[in-house]
Amino acid sequence: MRKYSFRGGIHPLRDTHEGKELTRNKPIREVVAQVVRIPMDMHIGAPSEPIVKKGDRVLIGQKIAEAVGGIGVPVHASVSGTVTEVAAYQMMHKKPSMCITIENDGLEEWVQLAPLGDVETAAADKIIPAVKEAGICGMGGACFPTHIKMSPPAGKVVDTVLLNGAECETFLTADFRLMLEQPERVVNGLRAVMRAMGVKRGIICIEDNKPEAIQAITKAAAGREGVEVGTLKTKYPQGGEKQLIYSVLGREVPAGGLPMDAGVVVLNVGTAAAIADAVIEGKPLISRVTTISGAVAAPDNLLLRIGTLLKDAAEACGGYAKEPGKIFVGGSMTGVCAPNDEASISKANNGLVVFDEKDAQLPDESSCIRCGRCIDACPVWLNPYQMKRDYQLGKLDEMEKKLHVMECVLCGSCSYVCPARQYLTPAFKDAKDIITARRMKQ
Amino acid sequence: MNLRVSTGPHLLTRENTQTLMLDVLIALAPTTAAGIYLFGLRAAWVLCVAVIAAVLSEYIWLKLMKKTIVIGDLSAVVTGLIVGLNMPAGVSLWIPALGSAIAIILVKQLFGGIGHNFMNPAMFARAFLLASWPARMTSFLLPERLLGTSQAAFGVDMISGATPLVTKARNIPLSDLLLGNIPGTIGEVCKVAILIGLVYMLVVKVVSWHVPVFFVGTVALMSWLVGSDPLVAILSGGVLFGAVFMATDYVTNPMQKIGQCIFGLGCGAMVVIIRSWGNYPEGVTYAILFMNCLTPLIDRFSSKRVYGMVKKHA
Amino acid sequence: MPKNNLRGVFVNGIFNENPVFRLVLGTCPVIAVTTSAINGAGMGLAATFVLIGSNAVISMLRNFIPGKVRIPAFIVVICTFVTMIQLLMQAYLPSLYEALGIFLPLIVVNCIILARAEAFASKNGLMASIVDGVGMGLGFTLAMVLMGTVRELLGNGTVFGFSLLGASFEPVLLFILAPGGFLAYGLLLGIINAISNKRAASKKHEEVKAA
Repeated sequence: MRKYSFRGGIHPLRDTHEGKELTRNKPIREVVAQVVRIPMDMHIGAPSEPIVKKGDRVLIGQKIAEAVGGIGVPVHASVSGTVTEVAAYQMMHKKPSMCITIENDGLEEWVQLAPLGDVETAAADKIIPAVKEAGICGMGGACFPTHIKMSPPAGKVVDTVLLNGAECETFLTADFRLMLEQPERVVNGLRAVMRAMGVKRGIICIEDNKPEAIQAITKAAAGREGVEVGTLKTKYPQGGEKQLIYSVLGREVPAGGLPMDAGVVVLNVGTAAAIADAVIEGKPLISRVTTISGAVAAPDNLLLRIGTLLKDAAEACGGYAKEPGKIFVGGSMTGVCAPNDEASISKANNGLVVFDEKDAQLPDESSCIRCGRCIDACPVWLNPYQMKRDYQLGKLDEMEKKLHVMECVLCGSCSYVCPARQYLTPAFKDAKDIITARRMKQ
Repeated sequence: MNLRVSTGPHLLTRENTQTLMLDVLIALAPTTAAGIYLFGLRAAWVLCVAVIAAVLSEYIWLKLMKKTIVIGDLSAVVTGLIVGLNMPAGVSLWIPALGSAIAIILVKQLFGGIGHNFMNPAMFARAFLLASWPARMTSFLLPERLLGTSQAAFGVDMISGATPLVTKARNIPLSDLLLGNIPGTIGEVCKVAILIGLVYMLVVKVVSWHVPVFFVGTVALMSWLVGSDPLVAILSGGVLFGAVFMATDYVTNPMQKIGQCIFGLGCGAMVVIIRSWGNYPEGVTYAILFMNCLTPLIDRFSSKRVYGMVKKHA
Repeated sequence: MPKNNLRGVFVNGIFNENPVFRLVLGTCPVIAVTTSAINGAGMGLAATFVLIGSNAVISMLRNFIPGKVRIPAFIVVICTFVTMIQLLMQAYLPSLYEALGIFLPLIVVNCIILARAEAFASKNGLMASIVDGVGMGLGFTLAMVLMGTVRELLGNGTVFGFSLLGASFEPVLLFILAPGGFLAYGLLLGIINAISNKRAASKKHEEVKAA
């Protein structure tokens, strides 16, 4: 069988199955939190505007915040109960996020839902508005509003939808369990997107370290119009949008462009499942599968309500095994650190990893020995060595124009392979932030 | 609860400068062992002195300059060992000591320490010693063991003058060339040991194949073009040792793969040019030093196309 | 630069603006002929002679030389003195003349001499120009002798021909070869820079303290 791959990349934790052994065989278990704190800025774009106030009773699936601006999505209550607070809390973003806190009354009461029906027969033009109303945004990590991705501007031709089931990040098994246990949801979601966009080809891409998932999805996809399954070589960052498109289709996303500029839309398999729910059952996005791994007593794959506090998620896995030194959501390559365990699970959090004090230790930087590993590892073929030098010399213009630092996907591959423990990715993130701010000013 | 907050990645490879240098040392082990076996205890002394002098000069320099002592990264040990392996076994012991000190202080530390030197320290030390004490640096002992055919070929037990190999190698059986039953420096004679080292380094991915293959390949091809036996050209002198252990030095060769190919090509070409038309019978040292100087230039003009530098799709 | 103070002009050429170690001018003979201290001294003194002579003459003619043709005019003056010293050395110091070889006539294009003519002699009076010539010339000579001493000592074990390091010393041949010239020059430049940087730093420190 052909295995798709790209040039560059790394293979972290090769000898321990990418750290996935911990949760690989744990079926998805639903955990309902007593309290949820739902941030208004889970997606990229303007934060949503709360439309409930303290003391209101809300039902599951009830809209509690309206979309704002061109690329906003609404937010829904993930439990039924009483709103106890509408206030700002420090989440994973730089600034505190406005959050709605709801206390669960345990009644699990749903609002009236308006399903569109089967994905093959539902009216194609109703699907995208339904996706927007369901508050769906990219659940693989970036959290870009999905209805925007599905509506390319006039003149852009999208001919392929890629479903990203690579899950190349270490430790995470949420997408794997989802594909294994509920493959038809994933396939239905893909069909809904294809029909809504009028695209004839859809490929579900899975890394070859998940043969069971490939089997399950292949079985579910049999007989579905235009749906294919692609096997990817196990490699990080295989699940990066740009790398996935290059691996599978041999196309490149033009610099500064979006996947649709290469004629492709890439969606996470979790997002596809959420789209299937929105279309078939009319359910908004109120829960997601998250892998809880690392230094917790019993690592597990949990189906969590959006807004579950990190400490409650850890508690559901038997609590911390050791005093945590670092907690991050996402995998260990691109995961975002939580300032404390009071932060909450958002729509994009596919994983929660706890590191003990020893693993959290930050190494000391030593002199670069010019080994060139960073250059070989870069999946977008940049020159991290030169970029770091220019960064240290403050040559940001040089970095932007000659070295194309803005194409850096911040995957962390260069930092990972560096034997001198140079802080490469943080430097490029900083440079990108400065250059972006500069561009905004102009 | 005191949580650390940092930008990813939160996971790093176990490989660090020290493990890389350790891998190089492991790769050098067969060559070192072969050298000591062939030339006897005398060679062991030379290597010992070179390594101790290298580590000591690094330690003293860092101490004097009030810098962090980083001798734990083993890079000074590697430099010292390579300096020693570049010596004839019978050399006076102050020569390797001085060579290591020059390599560490003059070439490495004066330019800013590990990673900042623009020339291979061991290679420069060899060039320095060769220019200063040519007689001492080119008085080669014949191997103590395995004597036989080659003793007959040379007729004496010690050869003075610059590398006897290029001129007389035609009379030596291939097996002697491979096993090291020939005069030369401690490290360069036993080709089998060098190749074992190369295979180890390729397997653990310490170096890539580009530099050694292009280096040796170019030497073979060009030797054939100028009319000498390519196999003898590769197996005599320091070509293999230089291509495997010195041209592959991270710090002083290009970082991009395409650049490494050019680097290897240049080294090989220079070796044959110096051997055929130069004043010296052997040119590996100068070839590598010459290409070291061109490395920044090669790096500059061998950049890859960045992902996404394409036209927009329909 | 203290233009009116002759002592200042003199010292300036030797230390603050030493042509070899501070201005890095005329480095070709510095590397080529300093294989021994005596060669360095001979070359230095020859250049000093030319420098004094050309500075004096150009200073006197400075109001008569039209600006547009000043460089050819300077060169003619310099050539005259170079030819003089060349013939004198050929007559009275034939061995040194042999040793310096091509670098003696090449004093004509030595940048120090043209630089002083252009930057100093063509703008200053006779006395000041002569003192500048002496200062710069001695600075150059001093540097040449220093280079020659270091290289001769390491490369031959002698200084001005006298054996200093004993018979057991095996000379570092490299130092009297061309690469040794670069090495010695680089190392001396580095040492001098390190010393002057340290001085500047401590001076600054004292100023800060005083303030």
